[in-house]
Amino acid sequence: MKKLAVLLLCVFLVPCAFASDPAKAKKEGKANFYANITAVEPIMEAFSAAKEVQGVYTRISTSKYLATVLTEHEAGKLEADVLQGPLPILQTLKEKGVLAAYRSPSAAGYPDWAREDDTIMQFGIEYVAPIYNKDLVKPGDVPRSYQDLTDPKWRDKIVMPDPSSHATTISWLVGLKEAKIFATDEEWMNFVKGLAANKPMFVKSFSPTPAPVESGEKLLAISMPKYIITHAPAPLGWARVGTLLGTPRGVAIAAKAPHPEAARVFMDYWLSKDAMKLLADKVGEYVLAPGVFPPIDGISEAKVLPIRELSDEEIRSWGEKFKTIFFAK
Amino acid sequence: MRIKPPLTPTLIVIVGLLTISPVLMLAVGSFSEGFGTFGNFTVDKYVEAYTDPELIAVLWNTLIFTLGSAAVATLLALFLSYTNTRTNIPFKFFFGIISIVPMMIPHILFAVSWVLLLNPSNGILNRVMMDLFGLDRAPFNIYSLPGMILVEGLLDLPIAYLIIAPAMSAFDVSLEESSKVCGASPLRTLTRVTLPVLRPAILASVILVIVRCLASFAVPSVIGMPGRIYVLATHIYRIISTGFAADYGKAAAVGMSALAASILLIYLYRYLTSESGKYVTISGRGFKPALIDLKNSKVPLLGVVGLLSFVLIVLPVLVLFYTSMLPYVMVPTAKAFSQMGWKNWTDVLRDPISVLALRNSLTLGLVGATLGVILSIFVSYVIVKVRTTASGILESLSFLSFSFPGIVIGVGFMWFFVRTPLYATVWALLIGYIATYLPYGIRPLSSAFVQIHSHLEESSRVCGANSFTTLRRIVIPLLVPGILAGWILMATMFVRELTLSVVLSRPGSEVLAVQILRFAEDGLWGRLSALGIIMIFLSSFLVIAASVLGRKLAKRDSLED
Repeated sequence: MKKLAVLLLCVFLVPCAFASDPAKAKKEGKANFYANITAVEPIMEAFSAAKEVQGVYTRISTSKYLATVLTEHEAGKLEADVLQGPLPILQTLKEKGVLAAYRSPSAAGYPDWAREDDTIMQFGIEYVAPIYNKDLVKPGDVPRSYQDLTDPKWRDKIVMPDPSSHATTISWLVGLKEAKIFATDEEWMNFVKGLAANKPMFVKSFSPTPAPVESGEKLLAISMPKYIITHAPAPLGWARVGTLLGTPRGVAIAAKAPHPEAARVFMDYWLSKDAMKLLADKVGEYVLAPGVFPPIDGISEAKVLPIRELSDEEIRSWGEKFKTIFFAK
Repeated sequence: MRIKPPLTPTLIVIVGLLTISPVLMLAVGSFSEGFGTFGNFTVDKYVEAYTDPELIAVLWNTLIFTLGSAAVATLLALFLSYTNTRTNIPFKFFFGIISIVPMMIPHILFAVSWVLLLNPSNGILNRVMMDLFGLDRAPFNIYSLPGMILVEGLLDLPIAYLIIAPAMSAFDVSLEESSKVCGASPLRTLTRVTLPVLRPAILASVILVIVRCLASFAVPSVIGMPGRIYVLATHIYRIISTGFAADYGKAAAVGMSALAASILLIYLYRYLTSESGKYVTISGRGFKPALIDLKNSKVPLLGVVGLLSFVLIVLPVLVLFYTSMLPYVMVPTAKAFSQMGWKNWTDVLRDPISVLALRNSLTLGLVGATLGVILSIFVSYVIVKVRTTASGILESLSFLSFSFPGIVIGVGFMWFFVRTPLYATVWALLIGYIATYLPYGIRPLSSAFVQIHSHLEESSRVCGANSFTTLRRIVIPLLVPGILAGWILMATMFVRELTLSVVLSRPGSEVLAVQILRFAEDGLWGRLSALGIIMIFLSSFLVIAASVLGRKLAKRDSLED
C-alpha cells in the first residue's frame, strides 16, 4: 500500500516538476538570463511582451563565464534564473550543483541527441565555416572543400581565431578529424599543415574575423556564417565546403533561481519555435527546432553536426600541438 | 602645513582597503587548487607559469613594448608640453586638447583605426604611399613591435603630457637664464638644467606609462596577436582562453611578475628623486614661469606640431568618424562614400541601454574623479613631503591594483565585492575605479608637490594661518595644474573604463565601455565608432569644463592674494 502511495505521489509530482506556471511567473515579475550568446535583445523583448514577465539579459563572455557564475553561486548571490552557454561550461556548472532539472515541453520536436539529460537542453550549434568577400573573390575561386583552403593562392589572405588558444577553434579542428571529414588522419593532418602554411592572420576569437574580410584586408575567414545576417549588408558569403561542425549551445535553469516559475516560463519560451525563429532570423544562429533555419542561402541544405565536447585537458593538449604547427618558423 | 601623526597610517588603511583586497584575492587564487578563489594550497600554478618555455620570449617582447611605448609617449609629451607651456606658439588650447584626445578614445577603437590606416594589405596610408611613390609593397606594417609601440605610445601620451605639462608650466625660467649667463650653450642648458629639474615628472611619466603598458590588452590583442607578437597581457589571455574553465589563479601567478616589476619601479623612482629639494621651482623667491618668444621659428614649429597632431591623433579620429558613417567596414572608395549615412548614430542614440550607459559613465566620471583627486591630494602630500618608510609603503599600495594586468584584476575585484553588499551595484564600480586608477591622481599631484618649497607653508604659518588655511590659500592654488591634470586623467579614464566594468557591471549599472564591448563582440564597428566619438565629445566637455574652472580658480586666488 505504501509503495502504491509513493508511486501515485511520483506520478502526480513529476509532471508538476516539469511544467511552468505563467500566472506565478507573472507574479515573480522577471527572469534573469545569463548568456554568452550575443544580440538576443529581440528575443528578450518578444518574451517580455508575450509573457508579461520582464526578461533581463546579462551578457558574460565565455572566458569569464565560469568564474562569474561559480563565484556568485558560492557566495549565494547568483542572480541567474536561466543560464545559456557552451555545453562544456554547462556540464561543469551541473557538476557543481548550479543547475536544476527541468524538461520543457517546448523541446518536444528537438533531435534526441539535443537532450543531454533532464538538466541541460541543447538548442543550437555554433557552426563554423569559411566566409569570404563576395566582391573580391570570384565565384570560381570560392573554396569547395576544406582541402581548397590549403591552396597556396590563399597565402596571407585568411584570418582565423588563434588555433593554439581559442577553445572553439581547437575543438573545430579536432572535430574535423573525429567526424571523419577527411578519409584518413593523415589527410586531416595535411589539411592542418596546409592551412598553417598559408600563414593565416590570428585574432582572439570569431567576432573579430568578419571585419578584415569586409574591408578587403583579407579575403577569407574561418568564421561563422551567422555574420552574413548580423553584418548585413556587408558582401559576405559562406563557402560550401561540405559538412559543417560546431560546438553545441545549451540552456538550463538555475537550481536556486530567484524566480523559479519565471525561469521555467522563460525556458519554455526560449525553446519555442517562435523564439528559435527569431534567433535564426535576427542573429543567424543554427538552431535545433525542427524546420527552422537562418535565412542564409544554402544553409537549410547544409549538413551541420555537433562536435564532441573536449575536456579542458584535451583542449590544452591539442592547443599545444596546433601551436607547434601554426607558429612554426 | 604640519602633519598630524595619524594622517599617514589613516591613508595607509584607506588606500590599503581599496587596493589590497582584490590583489589579495588573486594571490589566494594563485596558490589554490581549482579555478576559484579558495582551494587547497598549491604552488603548481607558479611552477607551471614560470617554467613555460615561451615565457622568456614573452618577457623580452614585453620589455621592448613597454620601454618603447614609454619612450614614445614621454618624448612626444616633452616636445608638446614644452611648445605648449614654454613658448608663444599659437592655438595652445587646441594643441593641449589634442594631446589628451587619445585618453578619451576606447583603446580598442584607436587600435582598429590604426589597423585601417597601416595594415600591409590595404591600409589607407599604405595605399597612399604606394600610389605616391610607385611602391610595389606596403611601406608600413602595423602588425609589428614598432607598430604596437607607436599606437600604445600615442594612447599613453596623455598620461605623460598631463604629468609633464604642469611641471613644465611651473618651471622657473631664471634657472635657465643663470645657466646662459654662465656661458652654457642651449643644449648644455637643456641637458644640465632643464631636464634634470624636470626629472621627477619625466620619471613619473615613464614609470606610469610602463606600468600601464604592462596592463594594456587592446593594442597587444588587436595589433600584436595578428602579428604573432605576444606580450604578458596576451600571454595571460592565452592561459585564460585555452579551455572553458578559465584558470584565473594561474593568470594571477603570471600577473604577479607585473606587480613585482611595478613595485620595483616605484622604489627606483623614489631612489632617483630622493633629494626632493633639488626639484623645487616654486619657492618664496621670485617664481617666474616666463614664455619664450619663438620669433621666426613660430611658423615652422606650428607646422611641425600641427602635422604631428594631425597624423598621429586627428587622422585616426577621422577614420573613426568615417567608419561611423558606413554600414560595414570599407576602405574609402566611391562605393563606400555612396553608402554613407547617419544610421549608426541614430541607432546608438535611440538605444535605451546606450543612453543609460552614457548617464552612468558621466556620473561615475564626475563623482569618481572628484573623490579620487581629493584622496590623491592627501596621499601625494604624504608621499612627497613626509618621505618616511610608511610613505613608501603608501606609494606602493596605491599602485597595487593599477599594476595588475587588466584582464585579471577585474576578477580579483569580483571575488572581493561578491562578499560585500556592494556587489552588482554602481558603488562597486565607483570604488573599483578609484582604487585601480589612484596613480592617475597621485602622479601629477606628486610632481606638482615636489616643486613647491616648504618655505611657502612655513611663511604662512609664521603669519598665523592654521594648517587648513595654509592648504586652502597657499598649497591648493599652487597645485591647481596638478589637480586639474589628475582630475582630467581620472575623469576621462572612468568614462571609458572597461576592465573592471565588464566584470562588475550588471543590468541597470551598464557603462559606456561595456556597451562598446558589446558592439565590438557583435562586430558592429559603425555603431561602435559612433559611440566612441560620443565618448570623445563627452570627455572633451569634461576636460574643457575642468580647464575653465581651473583657470577661474587660479585667477581668483591670484586676485585674493
